[in-house]
Amino acid sequence: MTAIKVLLIAGVVGVMLWAFRNRTTVGLRAGVRISIMGLAALAIASIINPNITQHAANMLGVTRGTDLVLYVLIVVFMATSLGMYFRFKELERRLAQIVRANAIRDAQTSKSEGKHQAFSSHEA
Amino acid sequence: MSEADFSADPPRANADVWVIVRCFNEASRVGDVVASLRPTFPNIVGVDDGSSDGSGQVMAARGATVLRHAINLGAGAALQTGIEFALSDPSMRYVICFDADGQHRSADAASMIERMRAEPVDILIGSRFLKADDAPALPTSRRLLLKAARVFERALYGVSLSDAHNGLRVFSRAFASTVDLKLSDMAYASELVGLIAASGLSYAEHPVTIDYSEYSLAKGQRSINSVNIAVDACMQRMLKGRR
Repeated sequence: MTAIKVLLIAGVVGVMLWAFRNRTTVGLRAGVRISIMGLAALAIASIINPNITQHAANMLGVTRGTDLVLYVLIVVFMATSLGMYFRFKELERRLAQIVRANAIRDAQTSKSEGKHQAFSSHEA
Repeated sequence: MSEADFSADPPRANADVWVIVRCFNEASRVGDVVASLRPTFPNIVGVDDGSSDGSGQVMAARGATVLRHAINLGAGAALQTGIEFALSDPSMRYVICFDADGQHRSADAASMIERMRAEPVDILIGSRFLKADDAPALPTSRRLLLKAARVFERALYGVSLSDAHNGLRVFSRAFASTVDLKLSDMAYASELVGLIAASGLSYAEHPVTIDYSEYSLAKGQRSINSVNIAVDACMQRMLKGRR
């Protein structure tokens, strides 16, 4: 097993575990911002000097620099997708809460206005 | 059912019971369902999960208290709404979950409540498989799927129910107050099994009859949806990380 394989597998697993365990904490959001800045810096550096990715690839045991970029992209994409997944789940949960609160409030309002038959009174 | 059924004084025998009927576009069925429950259960809460066919008005006309979701959220979210509403009644001791499509029998719900009052059980789940004569009515593919669900839930939660996806369930107040369903759609049924396991409260199964009709089978979930349910339930279970 080459060094790149070990690194990529560790990266994938590490990113997943980290994101799962900290998905709503401030630390994650800070981490995401730092990673974005780091990636941007790397991108700029490799645009200025395309040989950087090739050197890095050679050091890590990857044939071509473009392959290395692809591998990193896969890890970043997975992390992004997971982040989106949790965000959507959280939004869905909040949406359900607001719709639920609304439904219960409406029913209690119309009940106290006497639109429905009398039920055991338990107005909040 | 005629108007007279609910203009008469409803019996107060089960005044400490709330029946939750959640429905999404079931106007043709849900009226009869509410009417069949009314003579036995005075408190019925209909959760209209954003229906566009007037299901909510139909339930209200038959004497249910109607909670209306402004948008469709899904079965689990609707059940949670009904439970939270029932909990706002301090005299509530039991909640019954009852499907809106007419597949359950009011008499089964009544006998489950009787059993809950007699036995120290907090959760009573209806099962169609405890009555041998009822099994042939179910298509084979459905039966296999339910069997798979059973194995899946035993592996995931360590709780084994013969018919965990039966919509007819009775909860005591103690269990109802611990229920916090996060999965909005049909995956809630598996999530609920997990909540039962986590609560540590006593549960039992009760034989019930399911009246299969073409309507209820067509309305039932598509089998492929079980994949979505399994993935969501696994994720929910595995990823209980810090919040």
